[in-house]
Amino acid sequence: MLLPLLLAIEFGENDADLVKRLQRRDPRAMAELYNRYGRLVYALILRVVRDGGIAEDLVQETFLRVWNRVQGFDGEKGCLAPWLLAVARNRAIDYLRSAAGHMRNAVEVSDTEHPAGFADMEKDLLNSDKVRRVRVALEKLSQNQRAVIELAYFEGLSQAEMAERLKQPLGTVKTWVRTALRSLRDELGTAVTA
Amino acid sequence: MTCDELLDYYELYALGLAEDPEWSEIRAHLARNCPTCIPGVRSARELISLIGAAAPAVEPPSRLRDRVLAIPGGQKASRWNWSPVWAVVAACALIATVIFSVRAHRASAELAQAGVELGRVQAESASQSRELARLNEAFAILNQPDARQVVFGGATPQPPRGRVFLDPKRGVLLLASNLPPAPAGKIYEMWVIPKGGKPVPAGLFQSTPDGTALHVLPGAVNVASTAAVAVTLEQASGATVPNLPPVLAAAL
Repeated sequence: MLLPLLLAIEFGENDADLVKRLQRRDPRAMAELYNRYGRLVYALILRVVRDGGIAEDLVQETFLRVWNRVQGFDGEKGCLAPWLLAVARNRAIDYLRSAAGHMRNAVEVSDTEHPAGFADMEKDLLNSDKVRRVRVALEKLSQNQRAVIELAYFEGLSQAEMAERLKQPLGTVKTWVRTALRSLRDELGTAVTA
Repeated sequence: MTCDELLDYYELYALGLAEDPEWSEIRAHLARNCPTCIPGVRSARELISLIGAAAPAVEPPSRLRDRVLAIPGGQKASRWNWSPVWAVVAACALIATVIFSVRAHRASAELAQAGVELGRVQAESASQSRELARLNEAFAILNQPDARQVVFGGATPQPPRGRVFLDPKRGVLLLASNLPPAPAGKIYEMWVIPKGGKPVPAGLFQSTPDGTALHVLPGAVNVASTAAVAVTLEQASGATVPNLPPVLAAAL
């Protein structure tokens, strides 16, 4: 099921050319952007909010935000997919926090999705082999380690919030997080920097 | 802190879990183009992106593509760029009509017809310009990191639901879905309700056939003194006092 998406990412038009067309306001560029990354963005947002209707709203908001900020994106150096994922994740977590009555974390959001933060990344970062490897690496983690990574990434919880949710000491949660990230880095380090 | 001391915090930073002092230190290193921390954080962001890409694959509904393409610049919105072209085409049509009508001795009737057509095109162009201005106002509010966001209807499976954004300088933005079009002769009216005060009318709007709505109240708004934003169903001319109960209410 993931294959068509990955093939589209790997063999489609160059991202840099697509960024140029988006910056020129080419009317077909938004369609191409959605064709290439719509499923990826929808899958991520749905995993976070777990509601199809809300996910649709947030996907639209994600693409709107990208369209509105693409002028600040360096298509020659930047990598579109990680930027889109960061914007999508922030929109979804922002929604979760708002729905729970928490304040938006404006500083964190602006920091993690700034276009400049995605410069010089590997162009085919999200190819099928790497996605498969990250899934394998996540499966290798212990249940607790995987839980904290998922709570952090898909629910946007801080380490203190995770400790409260899991009813575990903060120090224990911090250990799980750091061990999990170190394991992922060791498993995928060569994949990421290749 | 030195770069060596920050090495173990790059992934935490990319994941949004870094705390002070490491968070501030990494930001400071990035701000001064640190040759060690910039590639380190970049690799960490690549790693974190892969976690997102590993979410279970799901096929989005086909209608979602239409919604995304409705964003200005998408295929549906491309008509903005064509408005001047259509105006020129209409003008040419008008000239051609005049020549034809003189030759056919029906100048006045043809001119009137062309005038009506040109007026229609101009009205459509003006409508599109207003819509573009409205969307620009919405984007401006949406892009304010300090805008207060309130979710309504999220806890119930039934419509309507959505979000309200309040920015002190730019105004109020309402995004709603599952809001059926108002019946004939009726219209939706938004209200800003101050704490301890009477509801203030905040504009009339209609939802689209697919049940989505976007409404903007441009201008400054006192967010701290606002208790809620609500929407009521009113007569087409609008109202100065809300017709209760509200269709939706978002309490701040």
